[in-house]
Amino acid sequence: MNFPELIQSVFDDTLGPGQSLSLFRPELTLCATMIAILLARMILPRWKTSGFYLVLLGLTLALAFVFPWRWFAEGALPGQEIFTGLLAADRFSVALRGLLLLFTLLFVTFTQIAGRWAPEDGAEFFVLLLGAVLGMCLMVSANHVIVVLLGMEMASLPCYVLAGWQRDRRVSSEAALKYAVFGAAAAGILLFGMSLLAGALGSVHLPTMGRRLAELLQAGVDPAQLTALILGGLMVTVGVAFKLAAFPFHFWIPDVFEGATAEVAAFISVASKAAALGLLVRLAGAFVGVPDARQFLVVLVSLLAAVTCTFGNLAAYGQNNLKRLLAYSTIAHAGYMMMPVAAMIALAGGQGSPDAPLSEAQKAVAALLVYLGIYLFMNLAAFAGVAFMRNVAHSEDLRDYAGLVHSSPGFTVCMAIVMFSLLGIPPLSGFTAKWTIFLALVSAKLWTLLAIGVLNTVLSLFYYLRVVKVMTLDAPPADRAAPRIPLTSAAGAYFAMLTVPVVALFFLWGGLSRWADAAAQALFFTTFGP
Amino acid sequence: MNPLTQPIGLSHYLVVGAILFVCGIACMAAKRNALGVLMGIELVLNGANLNFIAFGSPLLRGEANQTIGLDGQLIALTVIVLAAAEAAVALAIALVYYRTHATIDVDRGEELKG
Repeated sequence: MNFPELIQSVFDDTLGPGQSLSLFRPELTLCATMIAILLARMILPRWKTSGFYLVLLGLTLALAFVFPWRWFAEGALPGQEIFTGLLAADRFSVALRGLLLLFTLLFVTFTQIAGRWAPEDGAEFFVLLLGAVLGMCLMVSANHVIVVLLGMEMASLPCYVLAGWQRDRRVSSEAALKYAVFGAAAAGILLFGMSLLAGALGSVHLPTMGRRLAELLQAGVDPAQLTALILGGLMVTVGVAFKLAAFPFHFWIPDVFEGATAEVAAFISVASKAAALGLLVRLAGAFVGVPDARQFLVVLVSLLAAVTCTFGNLAAYGQNNLKRLLAYSTIAHAGYMMMPVAAMIALAGGQGSPDAPLSEAQKAVAALLVYLGIYLFMNLAAFAGVAFMRNVAHSEDLRDYAGLVHSSPGFTVCMAIVMFSLLGIPPLSGFTAKWTIFLALVSAKLWTLLAIGVLNTVLSLFYYLRVVKVMTLDAPPADRAAPRIPLTSAAGAYFAMLTVPVVALFFLWGGLSRWADAAAQALFFTTFGP
Repeated sequence: MNPLTQPIGLSHYLVVGAILFVCGIACMAAKRNALGVLMGIELVLNGANLNFIAFGSPLLRGEANQTIGLDGQLIALTVIVLAAAEAAVALAIALVYYRTHATIDVDRGEELKG
């Protein structure tokens, strides 16, 4: 191929009938919004609204470009590789990007209501936020090592800065430094692992790496190469486990959440988790076609899920700071969300006809998407409650929530609903989420993991109930005024609005799971062909 | 097979890369100064970069289908940019930490107990 032909082929791939660029419009919109916010600040130096409306506009446009409603049509977006194989464009990436952008839309509204920072800082906050979301969108559609690295770094770097947003607080800068140092170390280890894997397999295109591994294992692999593969795989696991906050790489989460504002903690706990899970599905999905790799990955992911879940729930007991308690709850939920990934790996290419196990594996991914969709509202609501209480009571300690039911009953009821939903009690959507992933574990016959999951739900009962008990049964402290958050205020109304989907998604179960099933279709098109 | 008597090949590059990686990890684990830890991270990234470039070189690897080709060099360039961005952010955070703590010793941050 000579040079003009090469240029022509790149041109055709980007703008031609392949339409790589048109499937990339959400990300381009995010970029344009970031630039627009910065320019608006330059032109109007004392701009009061701090770019909030620009962000709303940009996010709505991006969400419209993802087209979450159009792919219910039969045969829409069957799954294709865009930008010469760098990104995978299928319904899974559309669904996850849709969830991420929807979350960001809710999140910027939340920061606008709860945020306590100087107005001139608002624009930078939004620019960093959109940069992180852009990286997360790349992570969930990664199909190539270079995009994995780029996406992870683009998602992490703004989060380090956001964690240290309150520059004058000692804990805030400490949280940011710890997050940055540990995060950069994890990224370095992941990069080195990737270099070993890429070298041993002779490719950096994830599906090709999977195929090469299958060929290599069939032809017989020499010990040096096998060592490189196993070491590389473990190092990549370390990097992804750090992003997921899986045990034993969870230690940064409680510190960062306590030091950062509740807003930033909400962002890290939902958006960053969702993107890391999307990346895990992409990475694992590339190698599920290889039986030996599948057995290795099932054990690895199951073990991580079981230990993470149990540790998160046990460590949450001793916490008196509500943000720390929610941090450990986040760790536990990351464990739950890794369970359907283990089921997916176990089910992909199992016994039976070549089609049936594949659709079972896609059902497991659908379970993950259902969980993520519900977790988005639950966890955002929980952190929103913490942030609104901080604005009123200037405290995040659990004992300052004592007797809250007397001064703000509506707020307490909503908070209790969120806590019960995080626990997973019917008729709340948290139950739907847990039930769906447990069903996926049943169909994958991962009985031990199922038992651990159910046991953990029982374990988590007590610390979620403790929050509710403190709010309702304990006597309010006599030495200070009771915090008031009426549901008619902006904060109270926003909080109540978030509680509605937490309840409603239990009753809209069928619609949600149909949406997730449609999203998980054509997931493994690169591994097994369309 | 004594590597010191062999002509320079892929394994020599990999050994240097591995040494850089181990030095970087040791540096991260042992240094208490935030700048020292950041230097350790740079070593790890450069070790990985060396691996990528060595794996991408058709001269070092005989069979053409086994190299990762230009992708290796592209990744190395990308990682250099990422490392610069990471250093910029981490140094800014270290500066803020210094302003509030009057030290950049990572062990002195003890208000948050993991």
